[in-house]
Amino acid sequence: MLPHRADETGNSASIRLIEVKAYACRREHTARMASAPNSFNANFDSDLIARYDVSGPRYTSYPAAPQFHEHFGAAEFAAAAHASNDDPIPRGLSLYVHVPFCLSPCFYCGCTRIITRDRGKADSYLARLYREIELTASLFDRDRKTSQLHFGGGTPNFLTAWQMSELIESLATNFGVSNAASTEIGIEVDPRSADADYVRGLASVGFNRLSIGVQDFDPEVQLAINRVQSIEETRAVIEAARESGFRSISVDLIYGLPKQHPSSFSRTLDAIIALAPDRVAVYGYAHLPQRFRAQRQIRAEDMPDAKTRLALIGLAVSKLTVAGYRYIGMDHFARMDDELARAQDNGTLQRNFQGYSTHAACDLIGLGMSAISHVGATFSQNARDLSGYYAALDAGNLPIVRGIQLTVDDVIRADLIQQLMCHGRVDIHAFAARHRLDFPVYFAVSLARLRRLAADDLVELSEHHIQVTARGHFLLRNIAMCFDAYLNPANHVPAVLAAESSAILPRYSRTL
Amino acid sequence: MTGIHQLGRFSAHRVAADDGDELRFCSTCVFGRVCLPKEVDKSALVELHCLVDHVGPFQAGDHIFRAGDRFNSIYAVRRGMIKTRLHDESGREQVLGFHLAGEMIGLNAIHPAKYPCDAIALDEAEVCRFSFPALATLALRMPGVQRELFNLLSKDIGNAIAFAGDYSADERLAAFLIGLSRRFSERGFPADTLHLAMSRGDIANYLRLAAETVSRVLRRFQDHGLIAVDGRDVSISKPADLFAIAKPVLQR
Repeated sequence: MLPHRADETGNSASIRLIEVKAYACRREHTARMASAPNSFNANFDSDLIARYDVSGPRYTSYPAAPQFHEHFGAAEFAAAAHASNDDPIPRGLSLYVHVPFCLSPCFYCGCTRIITRDRGKADSYLARLYREIELTASLFDRDRKTSQLHFGGGTPNFLTAWQMSELIESLATNFGVSNAASTEIGIEVDPRSADADYVRGLASVGFNRLSIGVQDFDPEVQLAINRVQSIEETRAVIEAARESGFRSISVDLIYGLPKQHPSSFSRTLDAIIALAPDRVAVYGYAHLPQRFRAQRQIRAEDMPDAKTRLALIGLAVSKLTVAGYRYIGMDHFARMDDELARAQDNGTLQRNFQGYSTHAACDLIGLGMSAISHVGATFSQNARDLSGYYAALDAGNLPIVRGIQLTVDDVIRADLIQQLMCHGRVDIHAFAARHRLDFPVYFAVSLARLRRLAADDLVELSEHHIQVTARGHFLLRNIAMCFDAYLNPANHVPAVLAAESSAILPRYSRTL
Repeated sequence: MTGIHQLGRFSAHRVAADDGDELRFCSTCVFGRVCLPKEVDKSALVELHCLVDHVGPFQAGDHIFRAGDRFNSIYAVRRGMIKTRLHDESGREQVLGFHLAGEMIGLNAIHPAKYPCDAIALDEAEVCRFSFPALATLALRMPGVQRELFNLLSKDIGNAIAFAGDYSADERLAAFLIGLSRRFSERGFPADTLHLAMSRGDIANYLRLAAETVSRVLRRFQDHGLIAVDGRDVSISKPADLFAIAKPVLQR
């Protein structure tokens, strides 16, 4: 559904609602990003832009998906699942279900998706999905409750209301969905193929969170991306969701799309603010036409340059903050009273495949074609094509094709990157104590790199903390990249960050 | 990851004894106490040291010995945690105990001359192996060693039956945590932070509870602020309150 997810996984199918697990983001007295910007001060000169507009991971996971390998498969996943049952208090579960089908192709999309108008395809997909649910659920002890359930795509509302209802029932039966009031059941909805009745149907089977793709309301942009969607259809879905009791409504926008200009994007932002969603995500478009066939439909001359992209996100920040939203970090905004903002205040915010989350650490189980799981200190991903996904399940096997077992170093760096992404701050002493390390020695190479960013006023660096500055909030990825051991061979401190990064990172999107 | 990432890392605080040398035992060794230089002449000490082999490291799941193996040595844990268990007639596993650095395993094998149980490493572990026939001979000459052996024997029996009574799940778990905490602190390690290398299934088996009950009770202890659980690490925030719950078991 969203292009931004494509860069790490090769498909956005991997997104899940989820939180990144126990090792990350423990409670600390981190207040919210201390100097979170109220207005976007676009004092980025062109030299700075040139230096920081590089390719890099989005850190929805660390290590990022290109590090996954095929030596990690179903057996390793099963072993991780068994080990996760062994904790004194095993973590709760969070489920992501991927529905890969779409009725028409949005040109910006980098997801692994299947364009079809044949609704019958859903039945053969569901038959395999049910098998996967049974196989997977049997690996996890029954007293581990599911506190989050999320449907993404593709287009989840490709499924009919009754198909959705049966699916929820199967998940509840097999995984034991917690009936606590805090249980989140969320779905991404395309308003072009969902009406008010459908949304009410979702509410009646238990959905309580809705995320709606908008991208941009400007007609010219909509034509250029092959996604024509009126404000009226969008409003109808939002109103139906409110009336039927959805607890949270979120809207996704994209900046950096073809034909996008600050003046028209400003009108889109006004329209969104009028719709008053609880959360707004403003993702940067990742233009990688050599990797994503659909993106070849987009004309290069229609693409905004880096300076315009900065102006677009700057506009979003200033308009949304004036309208009462807080910039949480990395593309995400939430109303001041939203639990995401509260979680940032009390230090429980988590970064995950879907963006940010408030739930305590869970093991994440991705179900469906191309879905990613995060169980214990492992990541794993399902087959990214229907035939591979079907073949594995028809043979009675889990469809996992690649993954990674995190090393101790991975776990440490994942925690640090999580702190930066969620709180814009790292308390060096607390971090060093938690991981039993001598911070300046352990991170000598990373800190050397970070000092260059400090010189550009993106971070403040003292012996007690790393603090992201107001300006640095828009370059969180660049800051996190300093700590990425896979980008920074430890024995090699390259002279030019940008040059090195773009040279070795053809798989990642630009950071600006 | 390349070696440099290990630079600046402190060694894990997993419970471990420091190394002894020819005239000193590892700081946690049960024989350390009886072998103070004033009590034992140096030649005897060297002799005792000759009986000791350092064995390991074992990885989680490795056997130190198996039920039915011929008994010829007792072992002292130097590092890590060891589980002992046996299988009853119907093949069901029964966990006998968890053994920390400085504690002995294999004592219950003295009588039948075969190990009656398996000893399995729960995390990376090292042990000292004492040849038993030689130790027995030495004990005849060194009353201190003999006394310590008898002490260990009676303690070992006490461990095995501690949870046999009719106790509630809360009492069992509280006593389990207090017991572990005491044993850690006796060995000079922090009493308020415990690393539980064993699975919840092992804890449940040892305490004769369902695995779900173990988690439910621990969660309740946590909700009441008695403990904080983070993965396999448990910190005891209110030892006095926990002790009050554990009292019926500990008073035995």
